[in-house]
Amino acid sequence: MKSVWRQPLFLIGFGIITFFLLGSFVFEWIFGNEPKQTLYLEENGRVVEGTPISPKWIHPLGTDQFGYDMLAKIMLGAKYTILAAMAVAALRMLIAVPLGFALGTYLKRHRSWVNGLIDPIHYVPMTIFAVMLLTPVLWMPPDGFSTGIVERIVIQVIIMALITIPIVAALIGNEANLLYRSEYILAARTLGASRRRIIIRHLFPQMREKLFVLYGQQVVETLIVLAHLGLLELFLGGTDVDYDPMMADPPRSIAFEWAGLFGNSFRYLQAAPWLPLGPAICFALVILAIAAMIEGYTRATNGQVKLPKRKKLAFVSDDTIEWNQKQLKEKMVLLQSKEKQKVKS
Amino acid sequence: MKGFAKWLIQLAVALVSIWLISGVPLLISGFQEGKFLWADYIDTLKNLIDSLFPIQDFAVEYYMGWHTKQLPLFPNLAEYIQYSLILLFSALAAAIIFALLGTFFTMLLKERARQRVKMVFFFLESLPDILIILLAQLIVVLIYKKTGVLLSSIAAIGDDRIYVLPVLCLMILPMIQLYRLCMLTFEAEERQMYVELAKSLGFSKVFILFAHIFRNAIISVFFQSKKTMWFMLSNLFILELMFNIPGIMLFMSQNMSGELFMITVLSFFLPVFLLYSLGEWAFMRRLKRGGAAL
Repeated sequence: MKSVWRQPLFLIGFGIITFFLLGSFVFEWIFGNEPKQTLYLEENGRVVEGTPISPKWIHPLGTDQFGYDMLAKIMLGAKYTILAAMAVAALRMLIAVPLGFALGTYLKRHRSWVNGLIDPIHYVPMTIFAVMLLTPVLWMPPDGFSTGIVERIVIQVIIMALITIPIVAALIGNEANLLYRSEYILAARTLGASRRRIIIRHLFPQMREKLFVLYGQQVVETLIVLAHLGLLELFLGGTDVDYDPMMADPPRSIAFEWAGLFGNSFRYLQAAPWLPLGPAICFALVILAIAAMIEGYTRATNGQVKLPKRKKLAFVSDDTIEWNQKQLKEKMVLLQSKEKQKVKS
Repeated sequence: MKGFAKWLIQLAVALVSIWLISGVPLLISGFQEGKFLWADYIDTLKNLIDSLFPIQDFAVEYYMGWHTKQLPLFPNLAEYIQYSLILLFSALAAAIIFALLGTFFTMLLKERARQRVKMVFFFLESLPDILIILLAQLIVVLIYKKTGVLLSSIAAIGDDRIYVLPVLCLMILPMIQLYRLCMLTFEAEERQMYVELAKSLGFSKVFILFAHIFRNAIISVFFQSKKTMWFMLSNLFILELMFNIPGIMLFMSQNMSGELFMITVLSFFLPVFLLYSLGEWAFMRRLKRGGAAL
């Protein structure tokens, strides 16, 4: 196996993720928890632009409608979004891997109907499922939350992990079952290896690389579901709803996580396109980084996928080859007509 | 006949599964008080069955201001469902057609150019759907501001139906996925012996591609496209939300209830299940006779 760290794609992806994660913590450490606020821009003593300010040198990504710097908000929020997605995917794998192996080995006989039971879950869009289950947890009731923010984040991570566990487990189960039928497993079984030993010694090491790739895909999927939830105003760690009948503020997210930044600003798309575009592009960047890491990882483990190069092996001239082909074709045509005659007679 | 019985069992298991899932939201709704409402869950499951028969009288509750109204399945809900399904299937058809066309053109390229094209699509595949929809809406607005030509309206107002832009947005990601899938299967097929034979017989590249590789690769593309279908459902939901499209998904997210949830899932599950079972049956029958798939 070649080292993962020599794969440029993997390194680029890893670099982007580290930049956002480390950057997020360092940013908070240096500039504090509050983004810079600019209420208006002055030029020669005259106000030229009020909030939201479009992207300028001092505000590379513009500011929101209250004058807070978008770049600062995005940097502060990066850690919540990325870490939450990683935690959801990790928890999912932690539960789904043993379940999947059990399904592929101990419950081999029941696999077909279990699969039939799990199959329709695919027809429920994950986002809708997540919305249904998370609304009671995340939407602030009129008399305030009864739970703390950490508690809510933990509950959200657990629920988001649980909803796709059947699908992931079935996927791993089918994969494990395919491996289970291979010859070296049969040999191990004849020698008296128990199922547990087969799982630990044979199946898991065989599938380790695939599981890493699956983990990456799960992180991407979670990020997308988080963004969708943001659009529905269900933010990571709870939605702060203002129930004031007059002049109520729009629902807002408690931390500066990206789903909230995106979901809050989506309706300003035409007036201030930098507001939703900034977080959306950051989502795209992180997803791209993970995709690049997956690609780099598979290249390192499988060796780069290369088609064998075709050498010219012919020592005879092209004319001869052409003549040969012609002869072959003529013979084929002759054969065909003979066949036809046979059929007729 | 045995195959048909198996198919029926599959369908029955799937229906039971959908029925069980539809009650789950109620099971969880007591979550903040820290308990699962098992008794209510069982009751809901019974009610779901009762409400289904007879199907003509099926109706869901629907909020209008402070009142709840009953909205019947026929014709009101069916209209929402029809609109969503039209969007979904036209996007799927467009995605398949463009993915296949793209694959044909890339297969005709030289090896090195092909690698580059594939790399570009690899990066495009990881764009999130929200960004694509945002960009599409922005571009339409920009074109309108610059030239005064409105290519397509970017949001549905009232009961207006818009098709062009949503289908375009919905088809982009599945198209890229299918394209990458097609390239993988086509390239695997290209390395088979019979292709070498056909090449050595002097058939042209285009002819081999159409008459041999395409017909053999299409089966595996068909089976894999089911996953793309699932992926599109999530996209459809977010699309309806961002374009304010009066489809079943948007309606469901505004008026959540067990019955509505069941009807929505069924309305997507049944057509797709039938389509894929039929396709599978037809392909398998031809394959068993020893012929090509098409």
